[in-house]
This record gives sequence, C-alpha cells and structure tokens, in this order.
Amino acid sequence: MRRSNKGHQVLRPDERERIRERLGREPSTVETHAFDAQWSEHCSYKSSRHQLKRLPTSGSAVVLGPAEDSGILHLGEFKGERYGIVIAHESHNHPSQVVPFEGAATGIGGIVRDVLCMGAQVIAVADPLRFGAIEDPRSHQRYVAQGVVDGIAAYGNAIGVPNIAGDVYFDERFDENCLVNVVAMGIVKEAEIIHSYAPEGADGWDIVLVGKATDPSGFGGASFSSLTLDAADEDANKGAVQVPDPFLKSVIMRASYRVFAYLREQGLTVGFKDLGAGGVMGCSAEIVAAGGYGARIDLDAVNVAVEGMPPEVIAVGETQERLLWVVPPAVTAELLRIYNEEFTLPQIAYNARAVKIGTVTAEKRYVLTYRGATVMDVDVEFLTGSIRDELPVNELATPQTPSERPLVTGVQLDELMERVLAHPDVCSREPLYRRYDSVVRGCTVIPRGAAAGVLAPVPGSPLGVALGVAGNPRYSHVDVRAAAEHAVYEAVRKVVATGARPIGLTDCLNFGNPRDIDHYSEFVAAIDGLARAAERFQTPFVSGNVSLYNESAGGRAIPASPIVACVGAFSDIETVVTMPFKAAGSMLYLIGNPQSALGGSVLLEVLGRSDERLPRIDYETILAQHVLMYEAAQARLLRSAHAVGNGGLLTAICEMAFPTLRRGHTQVGAQVDDSWQWTHGAVGDLEACFGEAGGFVVEVAADDVEAFEGLADDVAGVYEIGVTIDRPLLAVDDEAFDLHRLRDMWHAPLREVYP
Amino acid sequence: MSRRIAVLVFPGTNSEDETWRLLRDCGGDAHLVHWSRASTLPLYDAYVLPGGFAYEDRIRAGAIAAHDAMMDHVIAGAEQGKLVLGVCNGAQILLEAGLVPGTGGIRRPTAAFTRNAPAPHFVCAHVYVKLAVDPVRSAITAALPRDAVFPAWCANAEGRLAASAEHLQELRAGDHVAFVYAHRDGSVDDSATPNQSALGAAGLVNREGNVLAIMPHPERDAWTFNHPDRRRGDAMLATSGGDVFFRSFIEALTHS
Repeated sequence: MRRSNKGHQVLRPDERERIRERLGREPSTVETHAFDAQWSEHCSYKSSRHQLKRLPTSGSAVVLGPAEDSGILHLGEFKGERYGIVIAHESHNHPSQVVPFEGAATGIGGIVRDVLCMGAQVIAVADPLRFGAIEDPRSHQRYVAQGVVDGIAAYGNAIGVPNIAGDVYFDERFDENCLVNVVAMGIVKEAEIIHSYAPEGADGWDIVLVGKATDPSGFGGASFSSLTLDAADEDANKGAVQVPDPFLKSVIMRASYRVFAYLREQGLTVGFKDLGAGGVMGCSAEIVAAGGYGARIDLDAVNVAVEGMPPEVIAVGETQERLLWVVPPAVTAELLRIYNEEFTLPQIAYNARAVKIGTVTAEKRYVLTYRGATVMDVDVEFLTGSIRDELPVNELATPQTPSERPLVTGVQLDELMERVLAHPDVCSREPLYRRYDSVVRGCTVIPRGAAAGVLAPVPGSPLGVALGVAGNPRYSHVDVRAAAEHAVYEAVRKVVATGARPIGLTDCLNFGNPRDIDHYSEFVAAIDGLARAAERFQTPFVSGNVSLYNESAGGRAIPASPIVACVGAFSDIETVVTMPFKAAGSMLYLIGNPQSALGGSVLLEVLGRSDERLPRIDYETILAQHVLMYEAAQARLLRSAHAVGNGGLLTAICEMAFPTLRRGHTQVGAQVDDSWQWTHGAVGDLEACFGEAGGFVVEVAADDVEAFEGLADDVAGVYEIGVTIDRPLLAVDDEAFDLHRLRDMWHAPLREVYP
Repeated sequence: MSRRIAVLVFPGTNSEDETWRLLRDCGGDAHLVHWSRASTLPLYDAYVLPGGFAYEDRIRAGAIAAHDAMMDHVIAGAEQGKLVLGVCNGAQILLEAGLVPGTGGIRRPTAAFTRNAPAPHFVCAHVYVKLAVDPVRSAITAALPRDAVFPAWCANAEGRLAASAEHLQELRAGDHVAFVYAHRDGSVDDSATPNQSALGAAGLVNREGNVLAIMPHPERDAWTFNHPDRRRGDAMLATSGGDVFFRSFIEALTHS
C-alpha cells in the first residue's frame, strides 16, 4: 500500500504551473494524480500526436480511423451484412521487463478490451517480440524471453483467442528493455459498432463500471510507462504493474457478448470503453469528453478489493479487467443483471461486478466525490484535451553508399546455409509458438508458422482475413527512415504471400526518450518512412500506439522499432495460398528483385561484415508484383507461396520444404538453378541466395505454367529459379543439402530456450 | 421428437461456440447452457462438455469443475444412460468426476489427463486420432468405421494420460482406451503421441460406453479450411474429417 502510494509522478514544473494557473488554486491530491496520468505521454501523446497526423489514415476500406480504442476496416459482405475487422496494437514493454509473465499477460488483456469495447467478437491476437541476447541461461533477458512467452500463452489460451501471427528478434540492445507488442483483432457487423464516446442525448445517462474490484495494483502505470526504467526503483516499478486475471476476463467477454445482443434487440446506441491508463478517471473523463459532456462520479460506488484506499488510488489506479458503459438509465438494471446474476461476476473474482458509479452531465466539468466531499472538479476538456510538446529534431545522417561489388567470402555455401538457418532471427519459432493456442474458435485457416495467419471469421461464409506483422531491428540500425518503410513493405508482403488483398495497417512505435534529440529525430524519421510506404501501398493506418522512453537507466536506448501489422482481406477463402510445398515437378519462381545491397541482412551478421545500404524499395515494381500475386491466387495458379525475408531466398525455400518432411506426408525438396543463370549476373550468387530485398517464392504446377507466365508477362522481376523434386534435398546448382539435417539445425536453437 | 443436447459452459470454458455450431451443423439440436442455468440440465437428453479452462484449471485441470452443480446433473444423466461427451477440458472434467473410466466410482478418479511431457507446457499441434476399440464398444463411436482415423488439434497443457500400473492394466483389460494418437496413414507409434500419454491414449470411454472423453479437438478440424493437409481443389467449406466424430455422436443420440 505504501509502495503504491508513492507511485511515479512525471508532471514537469511548467505543466504543474499551467494547472495551478487554470484552476486558480493548488490542485488537490486526486487532481495532481489525475493530471499526472492524463498528461503523461502514454495518455496524451503530447510529443507524438502531431507527428502521427502525418500518417495516411483514410481510404475506401476505412470504416473507423485512429480516433477511438481501435480502428475498423471493411472486410466484405455476407448475406446482406457488412462486416468490419477491428484492429488495435499496443505495447507492454516496461512491465514485461520487470515482471515478464504478468507484464506480457496484461498486455494481451488490455488490447483485447480495446477490441471488445467496439462491440466486436475478439477473434485473434498476434505478438511482435524483441528480446535481448539470450545465450546465457542465467541472464535476466533469458528469464524475460521465457516469462513473456509463458504470460502470453497463459492469458491468450485461457480466454480462447487464437494467436495467429507474430515475430521475434534477439538483440543485445534489448537486454535492459524488451519489447512486447501485441495486436488484437475482432469482427463486428458494421451496423452494430459501439463507439468509445457518450452518444448524442446522453445527458443524465448512467456510467456503469464493470469488472474486477479496484485494488492498489497498477497505481501510476501510465506514468511508469512514460519514464525510463531504473533498476534501483524495482520495487516501485513492480507496484505499477497490474495483475492479470484471464479467468475473469473470459467471463466478462462472454457476458459482454450477451449485453451486445441485448442492446441490438433494444436498438440502442450507447458508449463502451476499456479502462487502461488513468483508470476510472481516465476512462470516464475520455468517454464523456469525446461526446461533448462532463461527468459526476462517486468514488464510494466503485467496487474495491480492500477498504481504506485513498481516493487517488481508486480514481487512477490501473487495476486490470475493467470496462465502462455509458447507457440510458432504463437499461442499467438489465446490464447489471447480465453481468452480476447471469454471468455471476461476484462469484468469479472477489467483489467483481457491474455497478453504477456516476452520471453523464451536460456541463463539461469532471467531478469526483469521495465520502461526501468533492475531491476533483476540473474542466474536462482541459484534463483530456490535447497538450502538445514541441521538441527539437535533428536531420539524421544519410547512410553513405559505397560502390557495389559482389561479396566474396571464401566461406562454403553449405556452412553458410547452416549458419543462416541457425541464426537467432531465422531459426524455427515453433518451440515458442507451440505454446500458443492457434486454433481455438475453430476459424483458423493458417495458424502460426507461416508468413501470416489467416482466419475465416464469419462462420458459414467464405470471407477470410489475414494478419502479418513486421519490423526489423537490424534494419533500423542502418537507416531508421528506410527501416520504417521496410516494416510496412514486409507486413504487406507477408499478407500478400497468402493471396490476400492488403487493406490497412496498425503500428506500434517503440523508441527511446523523446527529450533526447537523437531519439526524437529517429521517431520523426520513422514517421516519414511509414507515411511514405503506407501511401504507396494504399494501406492506411487505422490504429496504433506509441511507446517512448524505451531505454535503461544508463541511457542506452533500444534500436528504433517501428513495428507494423497488416490486415488482408479475402472475399473467398478458396483463394488462400499456403506455405508448404505441395508436389514434386512444380516450377519455382521468384517474384521479386534480388539486390546487391546486404545492409541489415542475417548473412552479413553471420559473416561479421557490415554494409550501409539497405535494399531499395522500388514501389512501382513491387506493386505490380503484388497485383500478380493476387491475380495468380485468384486464378488458383499458386500451389504454395512464401515471403522472402530474414535469411533470404534459400531460407524461404527451406521453410516451404520443411513441413513436408513430417511422417505420413509426401516429402518435397527443391532444385534451385545457379543464380547466375536467372539473374544474368545482376547480383552475386550469395546476394541472390541470402539477400533480403523481399519478394516471394511461388510454386506453380507444370500445367499452370503457361497461364502463370501469361499473367506475369509485363511484370518486372519474375524469375524461373528451379523445380520441386521428390527427394528431401535442397539442391543449389550442383550442391545438394539434406533437408532433414537442415531442418534439425533450424529447429534446435530455440528448443533449448523453450523446451 | 428431436433429442436435445446441452453444451455446458462453466466459468472459463472457451470452446463452446465452435462445439455448439458443429453439433448443429451435424444435425444435432444443441443448446448452450451456462452455469447459472444448471437446474435446466435434466431437461436435456445428452451432454457435451467443451474445451477451455473451467475454473481456471485451479488445482488440476477439471478438478474444481468436477464438483460444480452442473456435474450433479451430468452424473445423474450418465447413470440413467444418457450420452455424455467431453472434449479436452471437458474430458479432464469427466475423468476428475470419476465418470471415465469409471472404475473407481463417482468423484473417485483412477486416471487423469495431466501435465504434458517431456516438457510440462501447453502444446498446440495438429494430430490424427485413431479408433482403438470395436466401433460398437461405445454407442458414441458405433457409426464410425473400424480403425477410423480422423484429424484433430491438440491444444492443452495437461493432456497426458497418467495412472498407476494397476489402473493402466484395468484400462487395457476393460477396453477403455477408445482413441489413440496415430500418424496420418493410420500407423501408430510413440512419435505420433505429442505428450507421452500413457498407452498413446487420446480418448477414454466408460464401461457402459455412454460416456466418452477425448483430449484433442476434432471440432477444430471439421472443415477443409481448418485442415492443414488439405489438397488443392478441396472445397474450403466442405467437411475435413473431424466432423465424423460428432456425426457419430448425433447418430447414436438419434437411435438411442
């Protein structure tokens, strides 16, 4: 309790002065904590909001852009109903570094509520993870890497939401500040979307809090995430981490689905919002302010876990598993009955329940009372309105471009092949994602293990949705702006590899302290890159999250990490293309342009070399290649396909072959021609085999070659590179590798960490 | 009159929707029954306990749920000969309740689905399941062909059958191991079992044959789009194999 009261405060002296001036008096203790949370970077986006405005956010598929808890993209129609995909992206970096299991679990919990509160069924999660170097079994970063995965598994599996996509990178620069990002996706009929604001005519409506009893956990969470991590303050940090309860969440989700059905029957428009940063205060102030109202909240009405908590803890504590409704008084009784009696919340967790805590007011004041006294009374727009920090920016140094010459290594291909496949950023993720339920809900079309996950989210309908994530920290080391562009390109590419049509993006921007000019300049440069790529791919951002202050007490910042998720649509899942090879005797094509630039590649890291050039993104060519992928998938000409990424072309081919080695399956290998033949010497053979310029490997049946080549006729960068064979071999020119052996080398490294 | 199936929802159950949907798609008259409506359970002719984490798997998977008021009705129904099916967490609950294999009596379990091995972690993996008894050993499997093999998804942290040597012998002798893990081609060996389950067991049946517990989820591989080994040209919305198990259940119910 004492520890929690201490909390973390981040208001600056100039901000305090502004509050004092506006109120015309000293703020009360509750008000101080409220502004501390609400004006933190986490809630206010004060140094990032104006930058984020530069991202493209509109387009034909956008149903709801980045304004509420989640964005919504139009998926398609079925039986006269329009369906939307609800998507949100969040980070839980600091909590996961301190208490990995709980930190990662609450990350899932929070993002799931962001999707749920739009009136959606939650259908999937995905998690981009960035861990430190984990070779030492006794290191904290290894403990973090294990605890985070277990936390994600424990929470996601329990609530019954499949984990269908994700990626993981290991880099010592994440040793003291891991990244745990999480994406959640939902499905909603567009006519039944519930918004996170008090609707028109809400004056006098009830404010109903639902969920876990408020306790002292998570006090100061918003401020915590807006500070850098200091190991000496570990105890206070732990107090700022919330305690997850997936069991309660599972019941709240189902009860909320029941409430959605009831509201549909009644034909009512209401407001629904997740409690996150700033707790009861932050959520209730934002939901009423967004509708142009104020609120009166009685803190004594809040269901609490322990008596005697000070009002500021009840008001801004960030206890998990809570949501807030704004509803007409006439339906409050039925709402309470559904949560408290039909779904018995009070019996699920101590004093969990739905309870009326306040009223929406026409007057735009935000008033909190506690034991009969007013403990907060402020202008709600002053509290929640956009405050803005103008921070200085540096022009980042432009990477030098050395002359292009083929890489000469003297290292044999077989040795390189093995070292690339066993590299931490390439090796099999299966030991990790085996712990995630990828198939609960029975809608999974492509589970974890491919470039992107695919679901058939509307039972009985042919509609499909794909989800892929990307963000390469090795790239941002070289050039942040270009790395951000590559993050978009890779996320889009992963979705295109399944045959989907990319329709929109969401991002999580993980950077260092914005008050350090270099870190803030990286953030601004990343926005440039994201905006440019999203415009060119015509994939708007509909939601996102910013996580700044990612660095250790020593001031070591993480690699700038713009992480992007892409949503793809299928009007008919018959056109889904999967990754594993299907049969021998198919033709293999590379759709993509090999380049000599190797900057940020796994190959260079394996060789201990560096190159200041990232692969170029030639948008026009790539867009034509994506159209080809889509048309070929529509025409059912692709037996299998995979995106080329970490580890390059040969890695992609191995990943397509490995699943066929399972017992009871027909083993399919590949013969790849000497790259000199198909690139005509444009790049060296190592660059062709391991370069990470992007593109796709596709398998086309011999009978379909003519049709495929017809479609590919005018598309630049389509190469016939080899054939599939009926032996478990990868043959490259005149060398042949045993695929069983390669698979074992690829599979071993993470098995040790995730037994 | 159609025979009504209750799909039980405990606090923490998470696979009720897809289970309910598939039972309906297979022609069953299935209804979701939440824990607060336990008293309505005697009105149903059969019970299906779906997957999830009932009561958070506290103590052991299924241990608390086995004592839930809903189970009083399921036990009474089973004793009257009603058909009872448990999948994954539902299977764990049936074992904890002592209904399957039933050799020790009610709430006196003689076997458990417990922590996976070699590593005690959640495993999500695609598997094949093979009928290991004469189809008529259980009413629920009677409509399956002999040696039937169907696909399913294994998704649990506690799916390994464990029992004393004496009780394992009892399971063998009484033909209680209804399903074993197999390869796609129907062959059976240790490598087909994802969690070192004793006897390679994926499912158990009680002596009378009316109560069946199966760990992998056939309902998650019911449609071609769910099926990782689908072939090009298979219609995505056609059935993929996991449904045959539920069809056999509905068949048994119709003829009982």
